[in-house]
Amino acid sequence: MPNLAVELNRLHLANPILVASGTFGYAREMAAFVPFSKLGGIVPKTITAEPRRGNPPPRTVETASGLLNSIGLDNDGLETFLAKHLEYLVGLGTKVIANIAGHDREEFLQMSGRLGGIEGLSGIELNISCPNVSGGVDFGVDPARTEAIVRGVREVCGLPIVAKLTPNVTDIVAIAQAAQSGGADAVTLTNTFQGMAIDWKHRKPILGNVIGGLSGPAIKPIVLRMVYQVARRVPGLPIIAVGGIGSLNDVMEFLVAGASAVQIGTANFYNPTLAGKLVDELDAALASEGLASVREIVGTLKTP
Amino acid sequence: MSTLTLPPLPGLVPCARQLVVPIVEQTRLARDTYRLRLASPELANAVVPGQFFMVRPPGQTDPLLGRPFALYDVWLDASGEPGGIDLVYLVVGKMTGVMRTWQAGESVEIWGPLGNGFPLLTCDKLLIVAGGIGNTPFPAVLREALGLHRYGTEAGLDHGPRHVARPLAPADITLCYGVRSAEFLAGVDHFESLGIDLKLATDDGSRGHKGFVTQPAEEWLKTHTATPAAGRTGPKLAVYCCGPEPMMHAVARLAAKYQAPCWLSLESPMACGFGACFSCVTKVKQPDGDWDYRRTCVEGPIFPAEVLDL
Repeated sequence: MPNLAVELNRLHLANPILVASGTFGYAREMAAFVPFSKLGGIVPKTITAEPRRGNPPPRTVETASGLLNSIGLDNDGLETFLAKHLEYLVGLGTKVIANIAGHDREEFLQMSGRLGGIEGLSGIELNISCPNVSGGVDFGVDPARTEAIVRGVREVCGLPIVAKLTPNVTDIVAIAQAAQSGGADAVTLTNTFQGMAIDWKHRKPILGNVIGGLSGPAIKPIVLRMVYQVARRVPGLPIIAVGGIGSLNDVMEFLVAGASAVQIGTANFYNPTLAGKLVDELDAALASEGLASVREIVGTLKTP
Repeated sequence: MSTLTLPPLPGLVPCARQLVVPIVEQTRLARDTYRLRLASPELANAVVPGQFFMVRPPGQTDPLLGRPFALYDVWLDASGEPGGIDLVYLVVGKMTGVMRTWQAGESVEIWGPLGNGFPLLTCDKLLIVAGGIGNTPFPAVLREALGLHRYGTEAGLDHGPRHVARPLAPADITLCYGVRSAEFLAGVDHFESLGIDLKLATDDGSRGHKGFVTQPAEEWLKTHTATPAAGRTGPKLAVYCCGPEPMMHAVARLAAKYQAPCWLSLESPMACGFGACFSCVTKVKQPDGDWDYRRTCVEGPIFPAEVLDL
């Protein structure tokens, strides 16, 4: 049986199949569909320091093979997360990586400092890339601010750190390098692509927040390209790929492109049992390729 | 560790499952309105009135997401056992346009049952107000209310088999059903066959009352909340409503005016149907007098009207 374990610097996972923040609720919602202990890890919905109502509906609209969302980080805040969801999450038999978003560097540091002392968490994913919150997207488009936040979090929090990057940048490699310089154990590539949908007959945007983030199969080729570029040009920085994965073939493509692990995102909405099945499918696919471990296929793309 | 009690998520369904099930038949019920009959005894035994399912074509990415459809009713096979579920839809967009082309023998991807369902009936007189395709939850509601079928009989369900202790007589149920025009009326023969008090309304007067369905609904409320004769108590009432938002808001205001308990079945745009995406939020009143966005799928889709910030 192939060895599915992956090591992303200090973040060690039993297998490379994770579920993406904002697509899996607080796991409770998925209990009927997913055997949690099979997963490599769960990234619960983004936590902010204070409760947020989120954006006015409509918050999602389907586009061609894609989903536009502007949820707006609807959540009950860090303390309520710890009181209501943490105990359940850390009892599921898989790694839990808390995803946080701060208004500013100070808030990122306060939150990660608090989470660093929480038993049972396996890592922190920094959402420096949410397109739906004013301010949130700014950190991830600027290499200096990306590095400063990651470095600061690294100083106050002993947990493995993953920086979740926005694709809405000119040069994703520069941002990934900055995250690495700041001390990130890995980067998640990528958050959603800014987009919009219009009801032209009423001359109105469809989303309540006007602009949203695009996810789903429509974005997969673009994320694949970014994973490939970062894998080639930022050695030593493990990549967690997320963007339109809906099948094992998609997983394999990202691994070959250079990702060490993947997150299942939008597919959780339209195929809720998928994530739980992918681990067995990955195991079978590696075995049929005659590979002893998943690490043997990461970054094996042959380019001319 | 936590002493904080979880907020109730009455629409989180532990027995929900994702399946690929065959289509038994499609039947045209009215203009642009079709009944999709699916074979799945397990879904038929698990579902209760007012719950919904997410449906999509398997293995495709356009359309991508499932769409929510209320349980229309459970159908029985030749031996009288639940054989599967009926869903009824109005062709309005990309997905329902695709659904229209589905043929018997093809398969669809479905997950559910989802949502809380209507509360177990305990009233003496039931008013149902349905607008347009919002009539779809009510065949199952009526069948249960009349004591004609027991829902949720699957072993191991958290809520156990649903049992209406005192079924209503047909005369104790009024269905006010309004559509744009008579050609959109679906399932009227069925409603008539149940012997309930049926009041139809059409915007253009092509059948029944000309105008809004809220007018016959208000007459019912006025009659049934009239001061009872000395020494007698009035009947215990309930109002169930599903339809376009403005209509549901109007019915909620009427029910409040006549102090009748009212439940609304909301249909908010949903991506997943089971609480993961946080798309389908609606404003729900909070104990502190403020409001918060709450997920229609896992806190509803059936809400007591008084908790909604309409």
